[in-house]
Amino acid sequence: MSIMEYNGGSVIAMVGKDCVAIASDLRLGNQALGISSNFQKIFPVTDRIYLGLPGLATDVTTLRETFRYRVNMYTIKEEREIEPETFAHLVSSTLYERRFGPYFIEPVMAGLSRSATGGFKPFIAATDLIGCLNFAKDFVVAGTASSKLYGVAEGLWEPNLEAEQLFETISQTMLNAVDRDAYSGWGVVVHVIEKDKVTTRTLKGRMD
Amino acid sequence: MAAASVYSSTGFDFSNLTRNNFLSEKGLPLPKATSTGTTIVGCIFEDGIILGADTRATEGPIVADKNCEKIHYITDSIRCCGAGTAADTEFVTNLISSNMEMHTLTHGRKPRVVTAMTMLKQYLFRHQGHVGAALVLGGVDSTGPNLFTIAPHGSTDKLPYVTMGSGSLAAMAVFESHWRANMSRADALQLVKDAISAGIFNDLGSGSNVDACIITTNHTEMLRNVEMPNERVQKERTYVFPKGTTAWKKEDIKKLVLSEEVTPIGGEAMDTD
Amino acid sequence: MDHIDMHRLKQGEVNLGTSIMAVQFVGGVVIGADSRTTTGSYIANRVTDKLTFLHDHIYCCRSGSAADTQAIADFGHYYLQMQAQVMGSAPSVLTAAAIMEKMCYQNKDQLSAGIIVAGWDKKTGPSVYNIPLGGGLFRQPWAIGGSGSTYVYGYCDATYQEGWGKDETVNFVKNTLALAMSRDGSSGGCIRMCVITEDGVERKFIPGDQLPRFWEGKEVLGEGIQNSLKTNDLFPKRDV
Repeated sequence: MSIMEYNGGSVIAMVGKDCVAIASDLRLGNQALGISSNFQKIFPVTDRIYLGLPGLATDVTTLRETFRYRVNMYTIKEEREIEPETFAHLVSSTLYERRFGPYFIEPVMAGLSRSATGGFKPFIAATDLIGCLNFAKDFVVAGTASSKLYGVAEGLWEPNLEAEQLFETISQTMLNAVDRDAYSGWGVVVHVIEKDKVTTRTLKGRMD
Repeated sequence: MAAASVYSSTGFDFSNLTRNNFLSEKGLPLPKATSTGTTIVGCIFEDGIILGADTRATEGPIVADKNCEKIHYITDSIRCCGAGTAADTEFVTNLISSNMEMHTLTHGRKPRVVTAMTMLKQYLFRHQGHVGAALVLGGVDSTGPNLFTIAPHGSTDKLPYVTMGSGSLAAMAVFESHWRANMSRADALQLVKDAISAGIFNDLGSGSNVDACIITTNHTEMLRNVEMPNERVQKERTYVFPKGTTAWKKEDIKKLVLSEEVTPIGGEAMDTD
Repeated sequence: MDHIDMHRLKQGEVNLGTSIMAVQFVGGVVIGADSRTTTGSYIANRVTDKLTFLHDHIYCCRSGSAADTQAIADFGHYYLQMQAQVMGSAPSVLTAAAIMEKMCYQNKDQLSAGIIVAGWDKKTGPSVYNIPLGGGLFRQPWAIGGSGSTYVYGYCDATYQEGWGKDETVNFVKNTLALAMSRDGSSGGCIRMCVITEDGVERKFIPGDQLPRFWEGKEVLGEGIQNSLKTNDLFPKRDV
């Protein structure tokens, strides 16, 4: 039993065509005992950046506030919104600062970054609990169901999925992986980020 | 308080240690960080240095990244391959790269490889092996080509060909049997590719592609994915789900672009004449 | 701490499981070392240079943790460089040995380093100082160190004589190290030696296939060496 399994929970992010999606389960547990079926692990950072924080629940809350504070300070000082790449490095260095006493969180980020031409480019990233960045081009996963998520996503994901298709792919990946993980589940929430809108859907999943 | 500023003070923050030690005393083992169970190599040739690395990052038995970059930038003509704890190799090379840039600016001349080597070894020695970075440092400076290995505890070795990481034994076997003094650029690159390939195929911690970096007196060439022996073949079929496969309970759409509708009030258009 | 554990190297630490030696003779000192560096059972470096420069006529032989001894030697080098600038003259071997001993003693809880400092200075001429594991400073006519040294104390006691010249001393160092390397699994490779005299430092290198060889059975040794044993020449002379 690792600390990462104490409260359970998983997050996944995927890249699509001009869009990204991020999904998490909604369970909060105390080891095998379920406590809540509406524990949000994904938080909006800006309009077009979402951050998933699977891991120890106390650190989910702490880090959400830390990042909210640091992003606000950045926005005030720079007088502009933070870009996803910059935010990923902010997450990374925040975690590495605690290299020898880490938070038990493996963050997952999804967003759209503004390109030089004024368009939007999909961006996803994840880090381990001490802030080692992983910029993937397809998908990133974290949490107690990560090993299952890797397998399902490796099979289901393909390049250039449209927003609606991406929603189905990430939803099915999440639902099926979470069903094989005892510590994740109790509902799933999916955010699909496009250039003009963010669609948030709560899925119908197994409640056992 | 560390969290009180965006630009907090430098150095590590140990304030979670008490809590984490308490948790591990309770029988909850600390989780593993991403490690680069790696093959990294370096080799001196005729007119410079070639560095090589595989591109697999692992988290225990899981492949965390199939195509990560392990050859890190130090200066224009100095690069550093990293093995060990992935976050440590990333941050320690970044830190020394930044310090080397400052060093260059204050002294106004091209920095030397030994300078980077000394900075790295003193940093790693100060942290007594807790910063788990095993490095291969290579570059060309006013003294010619230089190649070093730096172990996590801060010991260094200077050799004409070096390997590090879990695949170092496989790679060293290739070097020990095929390395010659004063190799040509093409021969040396092939040798480095062979050494990394030996790691990729014989060491479980190493895999995916070969990265290489050729450094000569006035040119540095980064050959990202110079060899890709493990490319995924086209999938047999696709699994795109028809729209409406997933049942959902609640939907919330947040519009990011405000649509404006102009409704003219009053009779006629303004007289603009 | 009850005792100092030779094997308390940290997990995965690079080790100089070593044979090192320094001998004083009439006009100078001869220092020598094997060339093996290990991490566990893996030889991380087979041509290591464990004879480390401290000042123009002062060297040290390092044994123990590679990281620790390099850090100490780097500091010693820095200190002596400063000392030479301040004093305007070359530092004595004792000064060098004393600062190295100070480092080893004051940080004994964190270090595993056994160092021999040797060299030549104007005041004392040639001298050899031994700094064993927990610190301590001992002037000796000859000193051996590292894991391989335990095998050859008897040989050194039986062989060493006062009043030797350079060539005899070089041979003594070479033979002792070869014997230590053949018995100690964590020593091996080649022999590196330095002859330090008033005139400067002369380096000598014996490749692994040209080490002095002793009785290993006639299946291993060729006829020629068998004959030389018969003629009572126990230590066949070879060019350095």
